[in-house]
Amino acid sequence: MQGTPLRRGSMAGSGGALPALTLVGLFFVVPVVALLLRSVTDPEPGLQNYAALFGSGTYVRVFLNTFLVAAVVTAVTIVVAFPVAWMLAIMPPALGSIVFGIIILSMWTNLLTRTYAWMVLLQRTGVINRTLMGLGIIHEPLPLINNLAGVTIGMVYIMLPFMILPLIGALRAIDPMTLRAAALCGASPFQAFGRILLPLSLPGIAAGGLMVFVMSLGYFVTPALLGGTSNMMLAEMIAQTVQSLLNWGLGSAAAFVLLIVTMALYALQLRMVGARRLAGGL
Amino acid sequence: MTRPFLSIRAVRKTFGAFVAVHDVTIDVPKGEFLTFLGPSGSGKSTTLYAIAGFQDPTSGDVLLEDKSLLAVPSHKRNIGMVFQRYTLFPHLSVAENVAFPLRVRRRPDGEVKRKVADMLALVRLEKFADRYPGALSGGQQQRVALARALAYDPPILLMDEPLSALDKKLRQEIQAEIRRIHRETGVTILYVTHDQEEALHLSDRIALFKEGRIEQIGTGEDLYLRPASEFVAGFIGNSNFLPAEHLETESGAATVRLADGSIVKGVKATHALSRGQTARLMVRPEAFRLTPVSGNASLAVEIVDTAFFGDRRRVVARTGSGDEIDVRPSSDAAEPAGADAAASRRIFFDPAQAFLFPA
Repeated sequence: MQGTPLRRGSMAGSGGALPALTLVGLFFVVPVVALLLRSVTDPEPGLQNYAALFGSGTYVRVFLNTFLVAAVVTAVTIVVAFPVAWMLAIMPPALGSIVFGIIILSMWTNLLTRTYAWMVLLQRTGVINRTLMGLGIIHEPLPLINNLAGVTIGMVYIMLPFMILPLIGALRAIDPMTLRAAALCGASPFQAFGRILLPLSLPGIAAGGLMVFVMSLGYFVTPALLGGTSNMMLAEMIAQTVQSLLNWGLGSAAAFVLLIVTMALYALQLRMVGARRLAGGL
Repeated sequence: MTRPFLSIRAVRKTFGAFVAVHDVTIDVPKGEFLTFLGPSGSGKSTTLYAIAGFQDPTSGDVLLEDKSLLAVPSHKRNIGMVFQRYTLFPHLSVAENVAFPLRVRRRPDGEVKRKVADMLALVRLEKFADRYPGALSGGQQQRVALARALAYDPPILLMDEPLSALDKKLRQEIQAEIRRIHRETGVTILYVTHDQEEALHLSDRIALFKEGRIEQIGTGEDLYLRPASEFVAGFIGNSNFLPAEHLETESGAATVRLADGSIVKGVKATHALSRGQTARLMVRPEAFRLTPVSGNASLAVEIVDTAFFGDRRRVVARTGSGDEIDVRPSSDAAEPAGADAAASRRIFFDPAQAFLFPA
């Protein structure tokens, strides 16, 4: 609601925004346009790069896998983040900010370090497998790395803060008394969750979910290190296409498709949730 | 003796060393409107929460028709409640809010529809069925909350200061609505408030809480006309307290000496006092007269201020010993020396309407 004057602001006052607009133009619009141009001109003018992209089973599979991984990561992140966000929302604020600080701190640790740490933990002879085997729970090491499970574990861990943050906002906006009222109305804790808490936190879930999904779509490091060759993701494929195959045109086309899909999702989200509620959830 | 409908037995609630509720015992007959009145922190809400199941009492028991409620979780107690804050579900329409308790009980659609219509008619909000809580005023929201709390015909309705967020005019309007709804449904209501006027207006009986205990329980008239303690007299209605010395008491009527040395006979003794014990004499503002009545005691005062309030006058008088007295004669009584406000004069009161409390 507070954003309205800005969004509807007339162009008359936009003179001060010129440096920012120049910056966005120079470093965002120009490269995107260059990318688009490259995808239809390299090696020769035409749509052959896009034809190759959608015509090849391999590339389509990479696309589908990218969406699958992003969807799984988003779903698991929501499930893991919800109880954490709820705990943080109802904690005394002082304690809550300490716990949240710890979560934020993990975001500041180098991404590569964290992903390598997961490699150590998840590999066949890693801590997790050895502990489980030592306890006699399993006899064969679990395949936790170089597959969907590994990518999911590694990426959920990285995405959690981006989900928790908007969720806390949505959950804090819910008066705990509302849940007491639901209980006295006869709602079991399960019903109170499904009928009251979950619908009321939907704006937060949608905001966080979109962010996680979109970030996951273009993620590179974690899938490259923890994933297997059979479930390659798009960013990894683009890197390979450009670096190993030196096929800039095809790489640009893939990158452009990813950008379009991402923006389409964002537009869809805005329509579904409404820009204001999304902003409010954040 | 029939068994009580709702029985609160020696309920005690402690938070660490602090005793919030001190062995409160009340029996509530079916259909009664009972108000827990008291200042904040007097234990009235804590007692209500024990009945709702939000706070387990440290000891004691709450029985509904002879069955203990304590082991029953909130959502199975089948109790209705209206809260101080607005607790409607913001993502559900008014009709869906009222339907909520029926839906979680998996009642058939037809019944839900009928009941929601009945309830919205009861609180006179039929036209608002499709609105969302955000589009309602505070008063309307509390009426929807009332409809929601009554939709499943709970045997008891708890109300925790439901009108405290509303302005005065709206409060009085909804008080009238609550009275009507209580009459029409016959539901047993336990009502918490710190507003004595609200308590007097609504209740069959009032339990006045002080520091976790019930100071007095009775009808509004009992508390107003026969206060058991200085606290009750001070909390219910307006009161003047005059320093006095107790001389003697005979069959409930005491004789006292006031600060100006005058002797007043026949005031109501509420406690056993010894001869010469210092005490406080309570006289209601409306018990004072500006003109002499035979058998009345009198006080020499100076008029400090007078004001006209339509149905009443308000006169501030000061005794020789410096105590300010609030006098509220009806407005058709003679004008008390309005022009020469500082004039000395006498004001009068019936000793039978004066209560003696230990100091």
